[in-house]
Amino acid sequence: MKRRAAIRSLFIIAGGIAILPSCSEQAGKASIQLHNIDITDLQENLLAEITETILPKTKTPGAKDLKLHLFVLKMVDDCHNKADQDAFVKGLEGIDTQAKEMFSKEFKALSSEQRIRLLEQVASSAKESDRQRFYNITKRRTIQGYLNSQYVMKDLKQYELIPGRYNGYAKVKESTDKLS
Amino acid sequence: MSNINIDSIKDRTFDAIVIGSGISGGWAAKELTEKGLKTLVLERGRDVKHVVDYPTTNLYPYEFEHRGEVPLSVQESAPIVNRCYAFREDAMHFFVKDDEHPYIQEKPFDWIRGYQVGGKSLLWARQTQRWSDYDFEGPARDGFAVDWPIRHKDLAPWYSYVEKFAGISGNRDGLKELPDGEFLPAYPLNAVEDYFKGVLKNKYVGRHIISARCAHLSKPNTIHIEQGRVQCQNRVLCQRGCPFGGYFSSNASTLPWAQKTGNLTLRPFSVAHSIIYDEQKGKAVGVKVVDTNTKEEIDYFAKIIFVNAAAINTNLILLNSTSNRFPNGLGNDSGLLGKYVAFHNYSARISAEYDGLKEYMTDGRNPAGGGYIPRFRNLHRQETDFIRGYAAGFSAHRAIDRDTSNLGIDLKKQLLNPKLGPWRVGSHMMAETIPKESNHVALDNDKKDAWGIPLLKIAVAYDDNDAKMKADYIEQMTEMFTTAGFTNIQANTAGQAPGLDIHEMGGVRMGNDAKTSLLNKWNQLHHCKNVFVTDGACMTSTSTQNPSLTYMAFSARAVDFAVNELKKNNL
Repeated sequence: MKRRAAIRSLFIIAGGIAILPSCSEQAGKASIQLHNIDITDLQENLLAEITETILPKTKTPGAKDLKLHLFVLKMVDDCHNKADQDAFVKGLEGIDTQAKEMFSKEFKALSSEQRIRLLEQVASSAKESDRQRFYNITKRRTIQGYLNSQYVMKDLKQYELIPGRYNGYAKVKESTDKLS
Repeated sequence: MSNINIDSIKDRTFDAIVIGSGISGGWAAKELTEKGLKTLVLERGRDVKHVVDYPTTNLYPYEFEHRGEVPLSVQESAPIVNRCYAFREDAMHFFVKDDEHPYIQEKPFDWIRGYQVGGKSLLWARQTQRWSDYDFEGPARDGFAVDWPIRHKDLAPWYSYVEKFAGISGNRDGLKELPDGEFLPAYPLNAVEDYFKGVLKNKYVGRHIISARCAHLSKPNTIHIEQGRVQCQNRVLCQRGCPFGGYFSSNASTLPWAQKTGNLTLRPFSVAHSIIYDEQKGKAVGVKVVDTNTKEEIDYFAKIIFVNAAAINTNLILLNSTSNRFPNGLGNDSGLLGKYVAFHNYSARISAEYDGLKEYMTDGRNPAGGGYIPRFRNLHRQETDFIRGYAAGFSAHRAIDRDTSNLGIDLKKQLLNPKLGPWRVGSHMMAETIPKESNHVALDNDKKDAWGIPLLKIAVAYDDNDAKMKADYIEQMTEMFTTAGFTNIQANTAGQAPGLDIHEMGGVRMGNDAKTSLLNKWNQLHHCKNVFVTDGACMTSTSTQNPSLTYMAFSARAVDFAVNELKKNNL
């Protein structure tokens, strides 16, 4: 187990999965190995802020705590086609452009209300754009990464690996919104 | 290549050889070794040892790099296997990728394969129903293929025999069209499945929904504990391999059992090139193998040979086993080897919603998957413009609705407090197809694989009967769903190529007459008596049942016959 632990420490744990860090500590590069998309460290940070806007830290961990931006990058890099990847990279850059257009500031300098307003505007824009495509991919993958994170699945007991039972007539209990 | 420097012939001689370690080969191996025969099992793929070679079995979804999704590069390089429902990140290491083992599609055919010890028994859907005489009598009654040389009574004791060992959960439903077996407790239907069962009972004659019968240990008996298997834990992650041995596979059950006898030799990385026929002795004497690592050809010898390479590869091996006596393939005097291939038509499904019974949900997971509707069409007499019929799966689950429209704190709250939605119901068709001479497999004259074995050409297609039956399934299910008050009924008939059902059968069919069939009623080649075929290749017709249980029963029955014949010096 010690060996396993040592190997694990070489990896970045994003939402519970191990991702190989990029080999060089080169300035200006993303912190994980990517094969198909080219992302700078600044873009990575911007993506982190966007995912944090989608799912912020409250009493419970948010997107940055769970490194969901790295999960988004990993999925876009490995599981999306070239058109999605191109739109993602362009659209990500476009978010900062839009921040400047709307508020004359970079996205990271915006208040959380301003960030939400901006993302809602991107989402509701009638014209299908790279920004919108970027946002839809990012939101979907952020939610996926969150619901499938160790925190939600295991710590909040939303997933059982070994149920050991089946009841086809379980009574529905009144739901109470407790978690946030 | 010469064998002189490999081993002595004695070291390469066994009492029996089994080609293939999947569901039927595993059974042949168990039976042969238990009866004291030194048995060599040849497996073309790598070894997969129970538990230790299930690398993903205990992983949480978040421990998969892509949360279960298959990376695009893999999907694009393997479009055929990528269409299989179980080809996901957690089990993709158990499937053959398209470019690893090419074949020629004269007509579209998705050939789904698992080349490893255990074969597809690791990956199967675990549904197990017996054939009734309505099935065995089908070809004779409806005038297609040839008459089956057996009936349910011939197979019944062997069904019982394999059911007890494998562990089959189910109810004794008392239906003539789906004979009862030796059952562990069934996984009960849920609230809406039960409701639909009631609707069919009250509004229709002869239409039933039963708890799906499946090879899961709902309550293990001593015989299962002795195999090292314990109760199914309702994980429903079966395709990863089960560390509990909760479902039946060669890896968890028959192969370790055979190993314990001390009579088993398992040789992975050994693709069967052909069966060696001795013209003087007038029988098969062994199997020519290519070691897939060294590409060395090695001959192994035995008194009896069981061919269990999975339906299509069994055809390939026999077609490639040529000699002066059998220039067109072993036992192929009739010229029918590779012909009359059939499959199950899975190309239609239907879904809907149900607004009632909202006081109930499900808790835990059902390894049986839900309900099973046995064939009701044309059962007692011909009543439609197509022949034969279909069985269907039916299941219901309570949907979880997660509103994802918001952003920020509201979104987080919604994700963590999902609401129960309506019940969703679904059904899929499992239809009989009619074996035809034109649906066939054959060897390519020029192209060979990496081991010098000819590539297989597959020409298998749907016909008009399939199209009519599919339309009837949608029509009948729509009517039954409507009667039940289900809403938002959506039929999906987009279709899929033959093969994706993974129930390809035939090509080496059984029959009474050596002029029109390859195998006799004991799964024995009419013209080469010490060679037996007990996998899907032997099937004369397909009926509607999931076929694996029948292959298990055929294997155990044929071994019993073969060993008795061997003792009488008849082989």
